Amino acid sequence: MTESGADPSDGNAIYVFAVCGAPARVAVAGLPGVAADAAVRTLPFAELTAVVQTVRAADFADEAWQARLSDTRELERYARAHHHVVTAAAAACPTVPLPLATLYHDEERARLTLTGEAGRFRAALARVAEHSEWGVKVYAAERPAQDARRPAAEGSTTQRPPAVPADNRTRPAPGAGLAYLDRKRGMQARREQRQEEALRMAETVDAEFQKVAAAARRLRPHGPDPAGEHGVQVLNATYLVAERRSGELETLTRMLQATTGARIELSGPWVPYSFVGEV
Amino acid sequence: MTDADLVQGGYQVPGPQTTNLADILERVLDKGIVIAGDIKIDLLDIELLTIRLRLFVASVDTAKKAGIDWWETDPALSSHAARNALQDENRELRERLEALESQMDELPAGQEAVARH
Repeated sequence: MTESGADPSDGNAIYVFAVCGAPARVAVAGLPGVAADAAVRTLPFAELTAVVQTVRAADFADEAWQARLSDTRELERYARAHHHVVTAAAAACPTVPLPLATLYHDEERARLTLTGEAGRFRAALARVAEHSEWGVKVYAAERPAQDARRPAAEGSTTQRPPAVPADNRTRPAPGAGLAYLDRKRGMQARREQRQEEALRMAETVDAEFQKVAAAARRLRPHGPDPAGEHGVQVLNATYLVAERRSGELETLTRMLQATTGARIELSGPWVPYSFVGEV
Repeated sequence: MTDADLVQGGYQVPGPQTTNLADILERVLDKGIVIAGDIKIDLLDIELLTIRLRLFVASVDTAKKAGIDWWETDPALSSHAARNALQDENRELRERLEALESQMDELPAGQEAVARH
């Protein structure tokens, strides 16, 4: 990693976690960060403050990350360590988080690049000032209560066709094929109806949260739960909400749960990861 | 620095109490303000990775309770799985060697002598 003219002799790199708005000291010195050798510290630039850590370059090279990405425990360790520093910094001052693995050869290189981006940091800080991010996940009920009104096709199957003589066993009873198709069609129609209801419900929940939020983003819905405990996730959204309005969210969640019958999970407050990038 | 130092330092880490790994990954990996770094790290497959991880991180505890641990034995998701494959092969080879050695011991004395020459 010497192509940019950095001194390769010390083998160190600078890992950047986040950028804080205040030039004041950010209390991050006691945090473990992503490496054991050096403390998490601050790096002032352009009247902003970066939260950084000196790490061994070899531990953070592309190959090391590729290995990490295929090991869930390792990935979790680094993701949580990064998140930990970001949230601690945000407790002290307005903070714009960087994603995992932003690295520079040395302090000078880091300061130079970050200074070049100061305008973007300031814009992002202004956007999220006095706001937090809140996650909202909506799960459709496992199996909605069966309709009392059963489709006509199913009713008709109770009228059994006359018993077929033994020597005629291979020939289907008259009307059996039609009844089968009707039954299939009924199942298909109910499935589609359930899906439409779930999507409509997701839109309702989203619309209500948007009324409280300054901005909203959709995240990818999570995959199905192997144990099938949670039901199908029909909405994974996240909202930027003014701190003074965050008290309304719990009430809104309870109200929507009662009116839609869906299970709604509210998580937060998060450092506004989802709202600092330009979209 | 250990977690104990952290607690003694009295840091209050804000954030949701339910810090589900999937929730953290989809923010830490996918979001945040992206600034070009000096060290090129190819996270191009991150999209694919998060989709694959998400299949289980959302519910790893539930799955463990249900005795499902396929991600721990899928080599694509775990380097432990690769190590396990090697250990399995090792064990199998040791067993075969033992079986062969015990067969050698059971050979009549004469034949053994021949076998040794």
